[in-house]
Amino acid sequence: MTNAARALLALSTCMVMTACQPGRDLPELEGLLYCAEGNPESFNPQLVTSGTTLDMTANQLYDRLIEYDAEQQAFVPALATEWHISDDGLRYSFVLRDDVSFHTTQYFQPTRKFSAKDVLFSFSRWFDDEHPYHRVSGRGYPFFTSSGLPELIEHISTPSEREVVIQLAQPDSSFLANLASDFAIVLSEEYAALQMENGTPEMIDQLPIGTGPFQFADFRKDVHVRFIRNSNYWREPARMEQVVFRITPSDHKRMLMLLTGDCDISPYPPARDVEWLKRQPTIDVQQTTSPNTAFWALNTTREPFDDPNVRQALAHAIDRDALLRAVYFGHAVRADSILPESSWAHAPQPQAFAHDPSRARELLRDAGYPNGFSMSLWAMPVQRAYNPNARLMAERIQSDLAQVGIQATIVTYEWSTFRRRLGDGEHDSVLIGWSADHADPDNFFRPLLSCTAKASGANRAQLCDPMFDELLNAAIRSNQPDVRGHFYAQAQEYLGAEIPLIPIAHSIRFQASRAHIGGATLTPFGGISLRGVYRRDSAKTNSVVLEESEQ
Amino acid sequence: MTRYLFRQIGLLLVTLWLLTLLTYGLGHWFPGEFITNSSGIFPDDIRYEDIVEQRAGDAGILSQYIAYLQHLFSGQWGVSLLDGEPVFEQLQLRFGATLEVALLAFLLALIPGIPLGVLAALYFRKPVDHTILTISLSGYSIPVFWFAQIAILVIAVHWGMVPISGQINPLYDIPPRTGSILLDIMLAQPSYLAAALHNALLHMVLPVSILAVMPMMLIIRLTRNAMLDVLQQNYITAGYAKGLSTARVIWSHAIPNAMQQLLRQLGALISLLITNTMIVEVIFSWPGLGSWLVRSIYERDYPVIQGGLLVIAALILIVSIILNLFHAWRYPQVRKDLYGTP
Repeated sequence: MTNAARALLALSTCMVMTACQPGRDLPELEGLLYCAEGNPESFNPQLVTSGTTLDMTANQLYDRLIEYDAEQQAFVPALATEWHISDDGLRYSFVLRDDVSFHTTQYFQPTRKFSAKDVLFSFSRWFDDEHPYHRVSGRGYPFFTSSGLPELIEHISTPSEREVVIQLAQPDSSFLANLASDFAIVLSEEYAALQMENGTPEMIDQLPIGTGPFQFADFRKDVHVRFIRNSNYWREPARMEQVVFRITPSDHKRMLMLLTGDCDISPYPPARDVEWLKRQPTIDVQQTTSPNTAFWALNTTREPFDDPNVRQALAHAIDRDALLRAVYFGHAVRADSILPESSWAHAPQPQAFAHDPSRARELLRDAGYPNGFSMSLWAMPVQRAYNPNARLMAERIQSDLAQVGIQATIVTYEWSTFRRRLGDGEHDSVLIGWSADHADPDNFFRPLLSCTAKASGANRAQLCDPMFDELLNAAIRSNQPDVRGHFYAQAQEYLGAEIPLIPIAHSIRFQASRAHIGGATLTPFGGISLRGVYRRDSAKTNSVVLEESEQ
Repeated sequence: MTRYLFRQIGLLLVTLWLLTLLTYGLGHWFPGEFITNSSGIFPDDIRYEDIVEQRAGDAGILSQYIAYLQHLFSGQWGVSLLDGEPVFEQLQLRFGATLEVALLAFLLALIPGIPLGVLAALYFRKPVDHTILTISLSGYSIPVFWFAQIAILVIAVHWGMVPISGQINPLYDIPPRTGSILLDIMLAQPSYLAAALHNALLHMVLPVSILAVMPMMLIIRLTRNAMLDVLQQNYITAGYAKGLSTARVIWSHAIPNAMQQLLRQLGALISLLITNTMIVEVIFSWPGLGSWLVRSIYERDYPVIQGGLLVIAALILIVSIILNLFHAWRYPQVRKDLYGTP
């Protein structure tokens, strides 16, 4: 009973202590509470593709050589001040900043500034199989492998401390866009060498060191991730002392926490509540039409989904307009191609995915399944911009499929398990999607549907067709938009005929913040950035106006 | 008493041993490979060969079991299949958090529960009794999860009085050591101690009071029944006949003897409390054992299931044994009953 006694003692001490009114806003407690949807899989964006991890890490802890500015529609300098591309499009040289330092923390104190060595190390880690760090963490580098960068880069050299030259094997019109994506971050070579010496190389991804506006403080799984301000940041430092990501998988819970003041910013509010939130005086809602696609991928290596007739039947079996109303509450448009409408290469195939149950039954009969079959339908457990409620969508699809005689069982796991099992190809079909990392149309094809994507476990349809790969490669070898557009139109036609996946919707991404938080923005591409977020002076109120009951 | 003590401890040890047999067996019965199931190390890991050797993966069942026990006692409970976190360290932190909320709820249930039960018995079939009985019956019938949602909506969202998630506002940097937030704050001794304690207590209001409701209602009814039972005994009549005051009869004779009956039933209450703790932990994102175990079952995270099962089963066992011992120590007549000696 000693525990009880101790707890009693502690409790009584508290009562005495709290008798005096504690100061509410202590200076050391200035900070931002961001309710995140899940645990980070790693603190290194090179290793992941999940938006949750990218949001938390990429723009907070790290910087990249160049960035993409969606407003100017152009690449802008970051760690590299300028860059040149040779006339044959094979040689990219970057000039680096000389005033950037890495984080100084309890576990690492840098002795030198950021230099070309760090860029060489960071890129070698994912592109050089022989590099001692390549195998560390053992997850592979899904974004880079699936966009074919390791094969593309011939070698990287550092003529001086301030210069990096990348030699490509062939011209690639999406190369700069890939370098500007959230994944191409720069790690510290000095820190990596130190960890290797200590015999704990994997710590580089768990106790991260970067150059970004925040530095890592602590992580408690399922509870929180804490970052504190990097006061030596090379741009204007972050305005908040600290940022805490509170891990809250349920979207409804996140909304309640926003209302009670347990969070300041909450991504992905429940779609059905967005209109209500907009009317709340204490809540601001931000939105962006992010280029994304929700789709239903069919595992083309499994029976009966290896038969294109079956896949076509499934495409005709489901009513996507009904899904839009039920799941997105009108905050999305129907997708008739994997490419969003905002892309210049968009070539829709509406007839391929039209809702036509009788045609579906006919196709099933032709394929030899007059009485249907049973299948698993995997629904992701988290809310993403492209799909706010995969579970609900799965239930709708389940009933659509029952109409044509197919029994679907809905399967779901915790997000990281879900992704691991998907990577192993254990699913029959999955409801998932893709948010663009950069503006190039290639981002919707090679990372999703190529043979290399299949090898890296990112290809949810497990599609590997050399002819289709050749089409995609032809498209990136050219720099001419009309030539590329022609190839991408062919690729979309192929997808309309073969149907490895059924595009469902392009949605709007929402984020809700408390009204006293300023600078919370959403950009169309990539993860969130919390550097410019600040707290307005006005007194905060926790109460909320419940002027009407929820429907 | 010594004999009884040894017998109870012997019983505890045998049950715990059977429990280790069960958890060891689970490693084999779960789908997949024994070494992976009990250590959390996948066959493609570089450490796998060493682990097989340490855990006697190739040897017979008996040496495997001995190796399992050695690992168990040295705190090497393997790592989670999902994230590679050591199970034992996680268990310590989460166990502290669960114990904190469960104990406080238990205290909160006892303190008003017993007086109300006594009161109801004293006013048997009077309006006071009816009121208390009605409240306790309806309180007992409300499911915990529903009660929690209503409380969140009204007290937290509508009135904005208390927070609804976690142990403390994470802007307070309290390093987790015991898992119990109050102890952690006292250990950390931050400059904002009073504010941190205040904040932690606010976070406890909802989970602890919601968790306390059901045990409290049960305690009221158990106390009332026990009191009614005792009040009909001959020695109570004898007490009155000897001219003792009502207060004296109640305080010195009725209540202590009623507590004996209550104590015997508290054991059953503990498992109810632990079950409800799991639900409340999930609702209030309380980083305890329950929410973790529930998820590990869902995720088929075998090392965590084994560890969590062992700890929760052992907790319930140990608490029951302690209650038994306390019972026997406090009420000698119980020991005589147990020995079967006249």
